[in-house]
Amino acid sequence: MRTALVGGRILDPSRDLDIVGTVVIENAQVVECGVDVKALPDDSTVDCQGLWVSPGLVDMHAHLREPGEVHRETIATGTQAAAAGGFTTVCCMPNTSPPLDSPTLIDFIVDRAASPKAGGIFVAPIGALTVGLRGEQVCDLAALKAAGVVAASDEGGPIQNSAVMMRAMEQAEQVGLPLLLHCEDTALTGQGVMNDGAMSAMLGLKGIPRCAEEVAVMRNCLLSLHTGCRIHILRVSTWGSVELVRQAKYLGAPVTCEVCPHHFAFTDEDVAEFDVHFKTTPPLRSEVDVDILLQALNDGTVDAIASDHSPFATYEINTPFDEAPFGMASLECTLAATLTYCTQSGALSPLETIRKLSTNPAQILGLDAGNIAPGGTPVAQIALIDPNHEWTFDRSRTFTKGKNSPFHDVAMMGKCVMTLCGSEVYRDSAFDEGRLSAATAL
Amino acid sequence: MRQLLAIRYLNRPDIEDIIERAAAHRERIKERKPVPQRSHLSVGLLFFEDSTRTRVSFEQAAAYLGHRTVSFTTVGSSLRKGETLRDTVLTLRDEGLDAIVVRHPSSGACNLAAREFGGPCVNAGDGSHEHPTQALGDALTIQDRKGTIEGLTVAIVGDVVHSRVARSNAWLLSKMGAAVRLCGPSSLMPSQMTKLPGTHCYDVREAVHGADVVMCLRLQKERMADGLAGSVRDYANNFQVNRRLLARHAPEAIVMHPGPLNRGVEIDDATADGPSSAIGDQVRNSVFVRMAVLDWCFGEVTA
Repeated sequence: MRTALVGGRILDPSRDLDIVGTVVIENAQVVECGVDVKALPDDSTVDCQGLWVSPGLVDMHAHLREPGEVHRETIATGTQAAAAGGFTTVCCMPNTSPPLDSPTLIDFIVDRAASPKAGGIFVAPIGALTVGLRGEQVCDLAALKAAGVVAASDEGGPIQNSAVMMRAMEQAEQVGLPLLLHCEDTALTGQGVMNDGAMSAMLGLKGIPRCAEEVAVMRNCLLSLHTGCRIHILRVSTWGSVELVRQAKYLGAPVTCEVCPHHFAFTDEDVAEFDVHFKTTPPLRSEVDVDILLQALNDGTVDAIASDHSPFATYEINTPFDEAPFGMASLECTLAATLTYCTQSGALSPLETIRKLSTNPAQILGLDAGNIAPGGTPVAQIALIDPNHEWTFDRSRTFTKGKNSPFHDVAMMGKCVMTLCGSEVYRDSAFDEGRLSAATAL
Repeated sequence: MRQLLAIRYLNRPDIEDIIERAAAHRERIKERKPVPQRSHLSVGLLFFEDSTRTRVSFEQAAAYLGHRTVSFTTVGSSLRKGETLRDTVLTLRDEGLDAIVVRHPSSGACNLAAREFGGPCVNAGDGSHEHPTQALGDALTIQDRKGTIEGLTVAIVGDVVHSRVARSNAWLLSKMGAAVRLCGPSSLMPSQMTKLPGTHCYDVREAVHGADVVMCLRLQKERMADGLAGSVRDYANNFQVNRRLLARHAPEAIVMHPGPLNRGVEIDDATADGPSSAIGDQVRNSVFVRMAVLDWCFGEVTA
């Protein structure tokens, strides 16, 4: 059984391909892709005119909350949300309860992800870098890798002790596992709850100085340079961090980094009157930082865009600002926010947009994803994106359990209308049924 | 119905309205004339943070107005059982309280409480954000002593970064046409002040020089433990408002303090108890201002 995606704008950053053509999927695999490819008479077809045909997106950084925090999210609801957001691979962070620091827990994640209740996409587990994420004893990274982790991370429990970090990098380098690093000097953060600046001064909220992030970015870059360990800096938020990563790359350190949509869509001014939906870590920064982040996306210093999807139960955020948890549920609007705030403004071309959201994350983690070359991935992973679809994000109409999105009521331009992952299909309500041929059973 | 959450949200006519109402209440009470009673309205006093003076002042204000009050502190309440602020406020709303007065250690907590309560709500101090009734009482005191606020120069000295009193006063006084100078050791000043009114400096002599009003802020001893301000003696040497400083730089100034005083730290005995001190007036006026604020929140008197 063949399905032809006809006449869409094919964006495959892995081959620098930006063409209008047809992609044919047979037995859940991409078999043809090109300008001259024609659908056969028996093929079921999807008319993709005006749509982007993109490799399925890869989210390097999401919190699916299992095990232990199922009131916030489950792998089932999280993967459904991811599929709705155009993702065919989502990496789940290890700061669960208990943290993902043993092969048994990785097995558990893999099992859950394969359940029929899940969203039908790939879950790539990230292992804890230290036992219990306590920042003291490095986990058995070889065993974690054998169990299926694609990287290890200190997310949620940033390693403060530089000697521990150096040992972690040495071991990760030996095992060949990239590290996803939460860069934060927690002593500098102290009790801070938002960006330290004029806004925190006005609101009387404790500020988090930007150096709390930058000190750790610099240390980790230096240790990467020293050990040769591949590291990926999670959610860079300040212009200073961008410059440090730029320098580290210039010096030859194997460093990559990501930004999250909320860090280029919002600033600390959006905290306005103590809106807890805008509380995240690192905190929302300033206009200058947003400008530099967009420039750094454009010039390639920032390699990836990730969601940092951090769902919380509503009762957890119905609190005064300084008691609320840090984080935002954003899997379902990461693509739309990127299209709205980066692509529409010209900071990223369509091809580069997909590179940041799919190809680069796949390459950083060594995943079979991020391309639509025939045979390029074991099963087809494709997102059909309508770049001109205008809609308003409504956090009450999402698959995720976490309704804590700052993008509520934000006008968006662009949406994923269909996600294909192997034989699994997510079809959005914005998808026009008229695009399907009579015989198509998607 | 109105809510008083921050001076930041008020405009000058609102401030003048409240101060006038406070002065009128003071007049009535001084002359033993009847105060319009609102005994049908109940007021909940929700104190999630220890406070004697502010709570007593609100209780006294409510008593003058004939309100029934329900006092509610963290000790011996369901908060100890883990109830959230939101649920507490919803419960009090459903139990029929007509207004709430909220003191809370978190900045912005009153915004949350007011939103959930939906009715008249007064911020009695939220974290480091604002303490609007304190500033209104201080404004009445300044007006009494100086005749007007417009055109005055006011120095606010001390732990500005953690002070809700400093923020509310800075907003109020600048909205009323005074020039505000914020001063303290750099570790106790916000890193950026562009969204706060007034100017700032780090030298107390510069701050008080030629000032009409000098406000001391309470130095919380735990800040010293955090290593934010050197030693108490250091602070006293460099930032104490005392007789010598005032004689040299601001001989005409009145001195204010929101209390409780750390004598010998931010203020010396001679100043606190001297003729330039307006500290007693501040406390007296706080009651009348809180009466005025309750009036203002409930709307026109129907007595």
